Amino acid sequence: MNLRIEKIANVTLIVAQGRLDFSAAASFQAQIEQALAGAGGAGTAVVIDCEGLEYVSSAGLRVFLLAARNAQRAGLNFSVCALQNAVREVFELSGFSRVMAVHPDRAAALTAAAQKPA
Amino acid sequence: MSVPATRLPSPTPWGRVHSLATRLVEGDGPEARRFENLILALIAVSLVSIGLELVPHLPAWAKSALYVVEVVVVAIFSLEYLLRLIAARNKLAFVFSFYGLVDLLAIAPFFLAGLDLRFLRVLRVLRVLRVLKVQRRVLEKTVAERTRELAQQNAVLAKAQAQLREELEVARALQSAILPATFPVRAGCEGAARMTPATTMGGDFYDYIELPDGRIGIVMADVSGKGVPAAFFMAVSRTNLRETARHHADPGACLARTNDVLCTQNPMDLFVTVFYCILDPHTGVLRYANGGHNPPYILRATGNVETLDGAGGLVLGVIPGIQYPDHTVQLQRGDRLVLFTDGVTEAFNPADEAYGVDRLIDEIKAHGQGPSAALVERICGSVATFAGTAPQSDDITLTVLSWGPQ
Repeated sequence: MNLRIEKIANVTLIVAQGRLDFSAAASFQAQIEQALAGAGGAGTAVVIDCEGLEYVSSAGLRVFLLAARNAQRAGLNFSVCALQNAVREVFELSGFSRVMAVHPDRAAALTAAAQKPA
Repeated sequence: MSVPATRLPSPTPWGRVHSLATRLVEGDGPEARRFENLILALIAVSLVSIGLELVPHLPAWAKSALYVVEVVVVAIFSLEYLLRLIAARNKLAFVFSFYGLVDLLAIAPFFLAGLDLRFLRVLRVLRVLRVLKVQRRVLEKTVAERTRELAQQNAVLAKAQAQLREELEVARALQSAILPATFPVRAGCEGAARMTPATTMGGDFYDYIELPDGRIGIVMADVSGKGVPAAFFMAVSRTNLRETARHHADPGACLARTNDVLCTQNPMDLFVTVFYCILDPHTGVLRYANGGHNPPYILRATGNVETLDGAGGLVLGVIPGIQYPDHTVQLQRGDRLVLFTDGVTEAFNPADEAYGVDRLIDEIKAHGQGPSAALVERICGSVATFAGTAPQSDDITLTVLSWGPQ
């Protein structure tokens, strides 16, 4: 599990790679919280780019849930993008894709973030 | 260990001297350390001065200076020798011991002025050995103390760990105990289930609920995460669901109500995926709702395997006020219902490949015709064989239900 933070304009992009299972969840959560705290405050956007994310267990899903909730509380515009098939399936089965914005790729997520300030 | 002289009742002058001597030459305290360093420095000074004496044609003033140095060194070494003698319990043994003789030889040449024994002063270098010996003893003592402390701390930790492990075993046993052992007995209807817990405590559970109207509620659920938090949330979820089920005839309404309750009892922000169905054992009508759980399969008597659609409802415990739509499917005589958690399809082998739904469907098709218990065994065996030596990271839970076997 590997995580990289990028800033594109006023969008904080969290690029996740690897397998998000129970053992990786705690560190993933801590890093996301840090990224949210450094995101630039209400009105800015946070996107988790999942292109390199191969697997998400239920403990991993919980981290996405907490991230979405914390971002909402901080007034941030939160979304995920570029889910691989296996991960998209988990998001759809669990109903997560109904409660958080899911974009097909990074470009779509950045466009949406630019158009829709929270 | 030295006893502070002030605590002794009115020490005699001799007692004071003896105590001082013991502290300086045999103690481990800062005074002893300073005294030791002084002696080391003097040994160095004296060796340098002996070397300088050998320089030919030394001016008179230099010779006088070296003599003064020699007098000071010998005076302090003599004092030290006296202190050692005073501190020694067996004075004769000290005088004739190796270090006792070395100490004596370090000062004797000065006092035996008649003989030219000055070369013996070079033996003062041997005195360094004593200091090294003392320092080594102090070091060994410190290491031994630290080792003992560590051993004590390890023992405390091991005890705490053993207690924790014992409590976890109890929790695990309690968790297994609340799962129903047998499917309710109904004519034309039989079921079997198995939960194989992962090494760390997980949060899978299944349940059969006998409803007041004679129908049977069947639950398959998976709490996110692991360990004690997941086990607790599992118990809370199971109890709430069981209680709510008795008061709701529709599975969707039951999940909605359970979700609302769980949202208020979820300090750890966990969630639970729940598939809940209600079987009418007389008609074979199966009504169900799905809160984020893997959709179950029906093996038809014809041999086809169908997925129970309607998946994608939100997991429970996250957002209150969610609606869960009801779905209905008609079972035919000889049909099998297979419910499972993602521990089955996401069992990994050493090459990091998942067991997946295709293998599961193949097993259901190939071995679904016998009794429910046989299919449960068959699938669990297939998953175990597939996983091989890879550790089991999640609970593996299965329920198989046969309707109208006659």
